[in-house]
Amino acid sequence: MNDDLVKLTIDGIEVDVPKGTLVVDAAKKIHVDIPVFCYHPKLEPVGMCRMCLVEIGLPMRDRGTGELLLDDDGSPKLNFGRGLQTGCTVRVSEGMVVRTTTEPVKEVREDVISFLLSSHPLDCPICDKGGECPLQNLTMEYGPGVSQMDYSLKMHNEKQVPLGDLIYLDRERCIQCARCIRFQEEIVDDPVIQFHNRGRALEIVTMSEPGFDSYWSGNTTDICPVGALTSSDFRFGARPWELTPVPSLSPHSPAGANIVMSTRREAKSGGRSVIKRIVPRQNEWVNEIWISDRDRFVHHFADAPDRLQKPLIRKNGELTEVSWDEALDLVAEKLQAHSTAVAGLSGDRLSNEDLYAFQHLFRRGLGSNNLDLANRRLAGGDVTAQVGLASGSNLQDLGAGDAILVVASDLHEEEPIWWLRVKQASERGATLVVLNLRPTRLDKYADYVFRYAPGEAIVTVRQLVNAAKVETDTAVDQLTAAADTLIKANNLVAFYGYEGLTYTETDTLAKLLANLLLLKNEDKAHAGQINSGLIPVWPHNNSQGAWDMGIHPALAAGYQPVEASGMDAATIYEAVHNGGLKALYVMGADPVGDGRMPNRGQLDFLVVQELFLTETAKLADVVLPAQSWAEREGTFTSGERRVQRYYQAISPLGECRPDWQIAAQIGERLDMGKPAFAASLLFRDLAKVVPQYKGMDYRSLAKVAEQWPLVGGDDVYYGGTSYKNEAGLGQQWAAAAETDEVGLFEVADGDTAVTTNLPLVRIAALYTPGTLINHTPMLADRLAAPTLHLYADDAQIIGLQDGGETVIQVNGRSLSVQVCVNGHAPAGLALLSGVPWFPGMAEFEIL
Amino acid sequence: MTFTEKYAAEIEGIMARFPHKKSAVLPLMHLAQHYYGYMSREAMEEVAAILDLDPTHILSLAGFYTLYYEEPVGTYVLEICNDLACALRGADEFVEMACDKLGVGVDGTTEDGLFTIKTVMCLAACDRAPMLQCNLKFEENLDEEKFEQLIARLRDEAANGRTPPTVVEKVAAYAKSTS
Ligand code: SF4
Ligand code: FES
Ligand code: FES
Repeated sequence: MNDDLVKLTIDGIEVDVPKGTLVVDAAKKIHVDIPVFCYHPKLEPVGMCRMCLVEIGLPMRDRGTGELLLDDDGSPKLNFGRGLQTGCTVRVSEGMVVRTTTEPVKEVREDVISFLLSSHPLDCPICDKGGECPLQNLTMEYGPGVSQMDYSLKMHNEKQVPLGDLIYLDRERCIQCARCIRFQEEIVDDPVIQFHNRGRALEIVTMSEPGFDSYWSGNTTDICPVGALTSSDFRFGARPWELTPVPSLSPHSPAGANIVMSTRREAKSGGRSVIKRIVPRQNEWVNEIWISDRDRFVHHFADAPDRLQKPLIRKNGELTEVSWDEALDLVAEKLQAHSTAVAGLSGDRLSNEDLYAFQHLFRRGLGSNNLDLANRRLAGGDVTAQVGLASGSNLQDLGAGDAILVVASDLHEEEPIWWLRVKQASERGATLVVLNLRPTRLDKYADYVFRYAPGEAIVTVRQLVNAAKVETDTAVDQLTAAADTLIKANNLVAFYGYEGLTYTETDTLAKLLANLLLLKNEDKAHAGQINSGLIPVWPHNNSQGAWDMGIHPALAAGYQPVEASGMDAATIYEAVHNGGLKALYVMGADPVGDGRMPNRGQLDFLVVQELFLTETAKLADVVLPAQSWAEREGTFTSGERRVQRYYQAISPLGECRPDWQIAAQIGERLDMGKPAFAASLLFRDLAKVVPQYKGMDYRSLAKVAEQWPLVGGDDVYYGGTSYKNEAGLGQQWAAAAETDEVGLFEVADGDTAVTTNLPLVRIAALYTPGTLINHTPMLADRLAAPTLHLYADDAQIIGLQDGGETVIQVNGRSLSVQVCVNGHAPAGLALLSGVPWFPGMAEFEIL
Repeated sequence: MTFTEKYAAEIEGIMARFPHKKSAVLPLMHLAQHYYGYMSREAMEEVAAILDLDPTHILSLAGFYTLYYEEPVGTYVLEICNDLACALRGADEFVEMACDKLGVGVDGTTEDGLFTIKTVMCLAACDRAPMLQCNLKFEENLDEEKFEQLIARLRDEAANGRTPPTVVEKVAAYAKSTS
């Protein structure tokens, strides 16, 4: 018998569960539902609501001998104690007998429900939770059947209390389970909501500015077991039973957050289905059952009224609606005519299918490698292909004995899910080492925090890696101590980002970290080992896919080097300006709006494929309307190289087409053959070309496995409105080091020299204004206004004051900014948030 | 001057008594309340900043304990117990009567700034209900007549400038004395 397992009997069924399991969870594993309100398997048990009371009997022993006492029939005598016990706080023990359906248990459940209902409003018909409400379900199942409310004794409390602009509280509905408060405290460490007052006057309050200031606030509406917390996105929007849940992926999350889009057909939208809300979909390998508010609320761009709906061609200086055929014919003709001076720029939000079709058009149809991401920030996709986080890894498995390194990234702002996973790993005992230019929210959980001076990122990381190479017993300094822990860790995960770095520097950084992962300690390197490897903190949801699909001037799909490299984005912008390029095809990117391309330069032909009439599109000769991710299916690949599927949620808007189809239809006109019939078939084709995706298809990506905690279905008690994953967990592709020997990378030296006293670095903010987020009205007040952060002494020298406003000139553009002198910025460095990204460190001037 | 500056020494003294910063929260709240007269927003924010807590945490404590006041209170705070045992001896009617007499509601303060009426949970004098505490001093076995006498006496005291320390002063003094 396994020593770590305990045998007990629940309602006559024998079950073996790990030691330490709570009685409610043991029961859940054999599908015996012990009703709960305050308990949640991701939170520490508190035993507050008493709904889970059951009879628990323990085998009796002779006090003298310790022998089991037996009944006449030879079975162990049981002691059920004097009362019922809460199944959510009692842990299993050998021989325990649990009874969940006896009369006393039924009675107490009825009592608890009656108590909760004694002042609960009966507004289920207008309550958002109605239909998926644990209180409603448990009342139907265990409640008294007739109302016992004495209306004269009912407390009347406020019903529409905004806790902020995102979450509303209905005080009457709250059953005081504290799940919301505990989630904010225990899981995400944003304790900005609390109980106030006591007894029936108790309510949830917040003092933060803005109210309920947390990137995770929406999750409380999922786990609230009643309709007390609702989101301004969904409240009074629809009834749960009218909604169709469509499995999808967040179009913003480089970690690949799994979501469900709840849709409904609406008369007011002309019978179209619309997205009513986004909720999490369980994937314990990725986002567990949580999503950030960005992933939850930023979807309104998909049905924004200013979406492009028809192809446009510039006629007599005006963009004019035309048929698809006319537009595609013209694009094909022009691209072909200029095929010696043509280039393509893409965004990294689009699906693998889109990106593959785009590069295929360029490489096969036009014979050009002038292909890049319009806004390439972070290098190292090729390095990750070698030493990336190994397939089969789960950051949830990291704990004591393991180590995580984070360099040049503010995870909390860039990808809250990774921030959460890293924080939790550190709480489980993993050593966390953080290297940044400035303090970030991860520092609080770190064992080692290193702050490098501007321009010294690479030098510092190199020192760390070199220190790891040397065997030490006594560390001479912190850096050596940290290096020693990293190299000796059982598992090592290294995250790296691009804050304050140039593209070349990020390439060096990736390679240095790869070499750290390839270093051998006692003959074993971390690279290639499950739960170890490199994770780039990509700027977008499918930056990884863009590398895999070959949106790169030198690497074709599957990282195959091309014979002659094409132009990269910087060269393309240069050539647009000086006439070296004649035609440019931009897909899902806005280089003009991002300040990378001031105008259309000497281009003869510019075609833009987009959701909106962006700054770039306004200058185009042809504008092609694309479907948003919600209107079609496809795949994204996360920074952990997990290829995942998303499904079509709403019908296509106007005449919009999927990006891959548009590219393929242009290709058809260049004799490249018929476009694929469906995204799934295109994926099958690309999986034949991209070796890393070999063997994957839409069916294999849709495979699921049982996950703990069990959520979904009847289980609204546990998962709340997080959905069970029935549509696929995705597949991680294997990094080379998992199967092959990977040699050390050659690393160029040093950083780019800092040429100014007070260099300026752009820092990330989760709600940085942009085309997609600007269409989310409820986040309007939370958008990061352009802000210049200064160290107090520096602010004084240049004569700026906290809270003031000023205009600065940076990279040739002037920008009004707010001034913030609050200690975010270290001495000798200025930080700029709330603006589009620019690489490295810039000089700036105050105008 | 902020409370943090004014009471720097006391704050340090109080914090030194606890192994965890967070544990110093209640006495610091008393001091802050003394400085601002009640738990104002600034008071909560300052205490939170000293202890590295979210201000919401302070608000929550202020709401839980009855000796923290989220609104300014009168010179005399009349805290009437209307918990179960007292209620059985007529506390609810007593509260109503008291409010009528002073012309304020529960949690209200008389216009002259002299009296605030509050209701509180058990004060451990159940056998002498109806009862109240006036600036922490128990007044027991009350009825309408005794209440009127009490009010008259307090008014007189105030008119002659003989007001005792306020609740806020008393609890702050206690917090300080133990630092
Ligand atoms: S608001 Fe909801 S989750 Fe929070 S305490 Fe009340 S019932 Fe529980
Ligand atoms: S007491 Fe067990 S679920 Fe609340
Ligand atoms: S119930 Fe009022 S003093 Fe105890």
